[in-house]
Amino acid sequence: MSTNQPAVARTQDTKATGPGRLLIAVYGIFALAATARAGFQIISKFSEAPVAYLLSAVAAVVYIAATISLARKGPFWYKAAAVAVCIELLGVLIVGALSIFDVRAFPQDTVWSQFGRGYGFVPLLLPILGLIWLYRHRKPMEQP
Amino acid sequence: MTVDGWFTAALVVGLVSSAICVIAALLKKGPNDVTLLAVAAVEVFLLCYLVASIVRTATGTAIAGAPWEFWAYLITAISLPVAGFYWAILERSFWSNYVLAAVGVTVVVMMARMAQIWYGVAAPGPGAALGTALGTALGTALGTGRGQ
Repeated sequence: MSTNQPAVARTQDTKATGPGRLLIAVYGIFALAATARAGFQIISKFSEAPVAYLLSAVAAVVYIAATISLARKGPFWYKAAAVAVCIELLGVLIVGALSIFDVRAFPQDTVWSQFGRGYGFVPLLLPILGLIWLYRHRKPMEQP
Repeated sequence: MTVDGWFTAALVVGLVSSAICVIAALLKKGPNDVTLLAVAAVEVFLLCYLVASIVRTATGTAIAGAPWEFWAYLITAISLPVAGFYWAILERSFWSNYVLAAVGVTVVVMMARMAQIWYGVAAPGPGAALGTALGTALGTALGTGRGQ
């Protein structure tokens, strides 16, 4: 994947180092948990709340995308990680707000309901930490 | 949920394992024999639990909840220490010990959910406990990282 990229970028642009490794590990756990939860909801009780369970599936995909793109090197994966983490932040904010103002449309079953309260607000904290981490590793973006 | 001997054992092994890894990380040590053995202990416990669960179901004990959910949890839990080990030794910095610390705590939460499935308690899920545990671990980690 990175064969056609300058050697300098390859050595400097890894996000999977230091605290980034812990961040990716926690993202990985959430990707696993969200996928398992969405899978279980869709298999066992999809008709009860299709919108909420589809959102669970979307959340799972976003967590998987964020985990993989954070772990990969290069400008493309940096952008991909930024997009995934931003979608995640928007998701938790929008679903979190809607779940408070419109309780019926969003039962407390998704990872993002009530700003992720069911998961100790980690879903709200994670994208913020993710963006901070990406911001501190923005250098490869400035290189041509 | 019903707290049986298995869950108590998981709680002790998991939390002690996580504590050892956090202490090693606070001392700025990379993954070493002590922390890797602490994670290996969690894996050994889970393998014992797997064998015992197979024996228990084979000898007539019925799982109250959905059996496939129980086995899915167990297989995932068993793969966690291996994944943590792999991810941690790729970069042997002290941060990797926080990754290893996450294994024990996560396994405890998953064991709690497995106990719920085994004894048949309809619960909203392991989310709350998982979130709190991870939040604490992450908070500790970032608090330390700042001083470095």
